[in-house]
Amino acid sequence: MPRSLWTGSLSFGLVNVPVALFSAARDQDLHFNQLHEKDGARIETRRFCAEEDAEVAYEDIGHGYELDSGKQVVLTDEELDAIAPRKTRTIDIQSFVDAADIDPLFFDHPYWLVPTGDSEGPRRAYRLLVEAMGDADRVALGRFVLRTKEYLVAVRVRDGLLALTTMLFGDEIRETKGIAPGGRKPDKQAVDHAVKLVEALGDDFDASGYKDEYRKRLRAVIKDKEKGGTIEAPEQDAEPEVATDLMEALRKTMADLDAKGSKGKPASSKGKAPAKGKRRRAAKSQA
Amino acid sequence: MPRSIWNGTIAFGAVAVPIKLYSAVEAKTVHFHEVHLADGARIEHRTFCSKEGKEVPRDEVVKGFEVRSGRYVVVDKEEIAAAGGSRSRIVDVDRFVPLADIDPVFFDKSYFVGPQDDGIDAYKVLHAALEQTERAAIARFTFHNREYLAAIRAHENVLVLHTMRFADELVAPKQLDVPRAARKPDKREVDMAQKLIESLHEDFRPGRLHDEHREAILTAIKAKAKGKEIVAEDEPDAEAPDDLMAALEASLA
Repeated sequence: MPRSLWTGSLSFGLVNVPVALFSAARDQDLHFNQLHEKDGARIETRRFCAEEDAEVAYEDIGHGYELDSGKQVVLTDEELDAIAPRKTRTIDIQSFVDAADIDPLFFDHPYWLVPTGDSEGPRRAYRLLVEAMGDADRVALGRFVLRTKEYLVAVRVRDGLLALTTMLFGDEIRETKGIAPGGRKPDKQAVDHAVKLVEALGDDFDASGYKDEYRKRLRAVIKDKEKGGTIEAPEQDAEPEVATDLMEALRKTMADLDAKGSKGKPASSKGKAPAKGKRRRAAKSQA
Repeated sequence: MPRSIWNGTIAFGAVAVPIKLYSAVEAKTVHFHEVHLADGARIEHRTFCSKEGKEVPRDEVVKGFEVRSGRYVVVDKEEIAAAGGSRSRIVDVDRFVPLADIDPVFFDKSYFVGPQDDGIDAYKVLHAALEQTERAAIARFTFHNREYLAAIRAHENVLVLHTMRFADELVAPKQLDVPRAARKPDKREVDMAQKLIESLHEDFRPGRLHDEHREAILTAIKAKAKGKEIVAEDEPDAEAPDDLMAALEASLA
């Protein structure tokens, strides 16, 4: 059982639901430590004043912010604490929106909300929110303070529980101006062919079928190195040639796929297919 | 014109779509640098050997992976890069899956995808096909020496690429200890809660939601620059009522 990061209550109107917050994602990356090459001892980081060339204790360090004028403003820990949002024990729901209206681009870190307390009342209040929101496919928008930062959050129903996601603010998502191509619409025939191809290569999303190959290889590299082996970089796949005739490329891929039957992956790909990937949809579209 | 951060090719079968990757997100968190309070000078981080207590030049610092307590295997940059995989210029499409099948918890970082000059037609065709089929391409690609699983989908008039979390990086509900209610909420309570939800229902308008904390920090910085003092305000917490039905009714009143 993971540890809860925060406990408090989810409040909307005058209803308060006591909850605990758990991260819904965990870091599985391999982490390295800095070592001194000569003796293999751990490296420590010490803070020095650039001007005096002397070590500085933690409590003597402030937070500098450079204004546009070039002038520096220094804030102390105490001052930052004073600006920090009031630490409340509530996630304040301000409104409910349609789940389909929020693009996933806004979602940052995922969490779970779990009911707390031993009494029946709060548990039932939690269940009530799950049922009422789930039926209407609504997402609650609110704000709450975790550590020293106030977050905008979305609370939705997932797998019968309340899932909370911290969100980005609108001005943190860049504009697509200059990225999206303008000009005329794509050739209809080419799109029709591409749609057929996308459907032929279609499948259900089976998350468990995809493993982190990078993590696996990095583990293998470490193991090899421990045994004294030498590690060589793999040869890079060549960047595929851009077909001068898009229609021809679409047709050729479709023909290759038909020749291989419904289970095929496109010919150029060297990646492993998901181990337990279901093939239902691919088979259907071939029938 | 935004600057691209990576160039490559989305590939499936004989189809190749040359693309450029752009950051989709620009965090606006206010960043400070460390300064010495006594003289306002910058703080430097210096590396020291914990055994010798002496400063170590950066070129004598190596990366070690702890295989057992206190036992490290040293790996260099090239060796770590060797684990990166062979797809450094290819976004290798595995499958096209229904977009609605992918819960957004799988999405980690987001990028915008734009066409390269010689791939505008292919880009538009792929965009149109993903939009029509409401599918996302699941692909693997290597970015900054690390292989990622990615989902590419149509969003307005661009393609968006999300790097994805693997299933074992997510916490499943069964790993949590969720206390169950003995009795389900009754219909009257659900109706009442839904009425309350509807009364608070509105359109999602992200432009109206501001980062008040960021604004407060910037205001405080300006105030301090003018020599003003920064003091905290205090407000009491709300009390939680016990009676669910009464709370619902009172909220709707």
